[in-house]
Amino acid sequence: MGRITVTKFLASLLATSAALAVMTASAIAAETPKKIGYVTNYATHEWYQNVIKGMQDRAGQLGIEFEVRDANLDVARMVSAAEDFMAQGVDVLIITPVNEEGAVPLVRRAKEDGVPLVLEGNPVSGMTTMVAICDYDTGYHAGVAAGEYARDKLGGVAKVMNVGLPLLSATVLRSNGFMDGLKTILPDATMVHDLDGGGNPDRSLEVSAAALAQNGDINIIYGINDSSSQGGLQAWKAAGKSQDGLLVVGTGGEGLGFINMMATEPSYQIEAAMFPEKVGFTSIDAAVKLFNNEAVPAHIVSPTTPMVGTDSWKQYYSVEGTTRTINWDTVNAVVPADKCMKTAADL
Amino acid sequence: MPQSPSLSAAAGPKRPTELLRALFRRNETVLLVCLVALIVFFSFASGTFLTTRNITNVLGQASLAMIAGIGIGVVVLAGEIDVSIGSLVGAVGIPLVVVMNQTGSLELGMAAALLLALGVGVANGYLAAYLGINSLIVTLGTMFVIRGGIYLYTGQRAISDDLQLESFYQMGNGRLLGTVPYPALVALVLLVAFVYLMRHRPFGRQIYAVGGNPEVARLAGYNVKRLKFAAFVICSLLAGISGILLSSRLGSAVHVAGLGFEFQVVAAVVLGGVSLAGGVGSLLGVALGVLILAFLSNGLGMLNIATEWQLVITGLIIIAAVAFDELKRRRQ
Amino acid sequence: MSETTQAAKPAPVLGRLAENSQIVLLGLLVLLCIGISLGSPQFYSVENIIAILRQCSLVLIVAAGMTMLLIAAEVDLSVGASLAFSGVVAMDVTNKTGSVALGVLAGILFGGAVGLFNGLVVTRLRVNSLIATIATMMILQGSVFLYSREAVQNKHQQVAFTEISTGYVGPVPIPVIIAAVVFVAAFIVLRYTTIGRYIYAVGANQKAARLSGIRPERLKLLVFVVTGLLTGLAGLILTSLMNAGQPTAGRGFELTVIAAVILGGTSLLGGRGTLIGTLLGVLVLKVIDNGIIILRWDQNLQMVVPGVVIIVATYLDLIRSRANAR
Repeated sequence: MGRITVTKFLASLLATSAALAVMTASAIAAETPKKIGYVTNYATHEWYQNVIKGMQDRAGQLGIEFEVRDANLDVARMVSAAEDFMAQGVDVLIITPVNEEGAVPLVRRAKEDGVPLVLEGNPVSGMTTMVAICDYDTGYHAGVAAGEYARDKLGGVAKVMNVGLPLLSATVLRSNGFMDGLKTILPDATMVHDLDGGGNPDRSLEVSAAALAQNGDINIIYGINDSSSQGGLQAWKAAGKSQDGLLVVGTGGEGLGFINMMATEPSYQIEAAMFPEKVGFTSIDAAVKLFNNEAVPAHIVSPTTPMVGTDSWKQYYSVEGTTRTINWDTVNAVVPADKCMKTAADL
Repeated sequence: MPQSPSLSAAAGPKRPTELLRALFRRNETVLLVCLVALIVFFSFASGTFLTTRNITNVLGQASLAMIAGIGIGVVVLAGEIDVSIGSLVGAVGIPLVVVMNQTGSLELGMAAALLLALGVGVANGYLAAYLGINSLIVTLGTMFVIRGGIYLYTGQRAISDDLQLESFYQMGNGRLLGTVPYPALVALVLLVAFVYLMRHRPFGRQIYAVGGNPEVARLAGYNVKRLKFAAFVICSLLAGISGILLSSRLGSAVHVAGLGFEFQVVAAVVLGGVSLAGGVGSLLGVALGVLILAFLSNGLGMLNIATEWQLVITGLIIIAAVAFDELKRRRQ
Repeated sequence: MSETTQAAKPAPVLGRLAENSQIVLLGLLVLLCIGISLGSPQFYSVENIIAILRQCSLVLIVAAGMTMLLIAAEVDLSVGASLAFSGVVAMDVTNKTGSVALGVLAGILFGGAVGLFNGLVVTRLRVNSLIATIATMMILQGSVFLYSREAVQNKHQQVAFTEISTGYVGPVPIPVIIAAVVFVAAFIVLRYTTIGRYIYAVGANQKAARLSGIRPERLKLLVFVVTGLLTGLAGLILTSLMNAGQPTAGRGFELTVIAAVILGGTSLLGGRGTLIGTLLGVLVLKVIDNGIIILRWDQNLQMVVPGVVIIVATYLDLIRSRANAR
């Protein structure tokens, strides 16, 4: 029995080394990378599902083999997954860090290993390039739109309940941007409640219910993602309040949730769209450039824009059954900012 | 010829089949066979699995759960449980990095981290062993308190390693002779030490006795409270070491580090054949349980299996393994 | 110890409560309510009380089952994952059949099926329930995404579906009524029926129970299924409340439920515990949770405070029961 195991081991060893030899030989001649590995933060979340979709589409167009590993919100798993990819010999690595500080050693290890690395979402010190939206700007422009809406339809009053997520600097930036944008139109706007909704709908619902009970005069609900705005709105509805005189602003445009809410909830009028598919698409392009040693900016900005009004999403997405399809023409026409107004470094 | 295996094993020359049967009655052998089978399977299924680089990677990755698993193993063998280790693994990074940033000394940082771990171990041990509060409740409580404490102290921000000490980086990321990751060496040394302690020292025998039957242990003159207290302290210190290595791998103190770690480790310990009722199992089994889960996770990743399937497969394997173990135990 | 002597004198109702070792929790609850309302009078507003009760009912429904499980010396850590999955199933079936009744049934039955699976693994395969239900939690967290990759929306905007959580009967929200019915039923079963007595007997000493003719495996299986059904019911209410089946919901819910049950004085070793205690445990935890927001304290305290409260309450309970034993 033991002998069989040894022979099998040897056979597979031979097979492995042969495969490796073939891979290295062909990689030298290629201009596009053969294989890109993506370590994602939370693959089952709708946002990342659509980022992955954008990456798969783009990689497919360019004929690149594309693989995903999920950290599932665990920093230790993030490190392991990146290690595994480097051992496997991917040509370029893309990482969405679970936590940006925790990815610092990975940047160094990728460099030591000669694997080009693209960060998605959050900057990591020592990195070459990152593809990300501007979180502060996203919130800011949604805030401006909300200010205009409140000025025209809510009598110029803006009392905000922020269903936030202090855990991540990105989501803190969105909330800050929203309030700053809002104040450019309505200087007296106030944040009545600053909540930690954990970024998930059930917790958001729970904390919002308490806050709404305490402050009956809230008239704007801002959510740092779609789950948070949905949780806030459902708490409002559960309290038996009418949606007249309420404005709900969501962030992300992650999946179908916001489309459904815009279509059915009269108060859900503004969505700060962040186009996850576009983020994925851009990340693959950045990976190819890095592979070819082309110069890339430290921050490649992926565009965002507020969608205002019930049907506004139809400009960018079409829905069939339970799949949504991005309208590349309109999304590609959204011009990204050259530089973010504020970043995590300003917090 | 129907013959009692124990009889034939005791008397006369052992036949190979008997030896094999005796060997397979050992839980560790079964686990080892499972581990080897797993490795063989993945070697064939994935072209990139069986490389020195990948295998040593997995050993490095597994070492964090292995070190903490030794501690949980000791606590569970003593008939108790500790679910606060996930929070503690995240917490020790804070004194480590803060002290290191202030003093420039890795050693002082590690001392501060271990001091925190010691404090938690003493608290858990005192509450559970001396005050007699159920250890699941105690450590569930400290799990919340520590995690909340981390968030309060850090304001939910990671603390970066400002000085970028080379020794701090190397500890978790470096490799001996460029091959074996240092965390794997630490795990191996601790494993050998604790296997020796639990098998060949009076302390180990006493822990087994206390976990197997506290009343009998008391009548035998063992200080049950002190032994259980010691188990909690050992467990926290080992979790502290695991947390220090994780912190090095993350190059910082990350406030979300270790979330859910306690369940991973407890699952591995039980998979390794340690009974949650206490007194039954071995640390070698724990090590094999940890390695099986680590290679499974790595291999499924190499095969490009999605997270959702990985979760389902791992869950089913845990149930199957523990059920098999239980069946075997009942047969005997 | 002083609580017992103090409580023994006044009205018989209070005396009985003290015997049932709930007086500390009741006192704590009263103190909390007074303290919070001094800091913020809105605590007593109708909206807030309804918000608290609605949150409590979700936890209480599952906690009623969990109490029985813990008394029978078993535990179920998969309730959080099952909560999310059964909600997704309920919403999906409602969408596909257009019938809210069928959706409701499917959600509850799904929860029951998970309970049955847990029960079989624990009683037939003899896997320790802590580890078995951690495994089930993993399986459910994975497979819910195999079932649906995104949140299942209330596609046809069925009002009857949302009414389950937001509707009222008179002034009382429907979830509170459901929770009350579940609570009373569970209370009666545990207190006044043979099954209830058997559950205590099995949890206290399985061998002795078996010798006296009880079949512990069957009984435990039943309790697992009941817990599963109740989890399905709670998942349904949560889904109705969110107007969508969220696969990511319910993370950490199992710990809240178990924390409430053990806070209520139910022993993890089995054989001891009461539903009144669980009710108080749920109320205390949810009032703390609500109070921290109402008082605008740092929300991170929502983790620290319950952790301390659980340890302290269990310790006080321990002291008292030791004093009683003497």
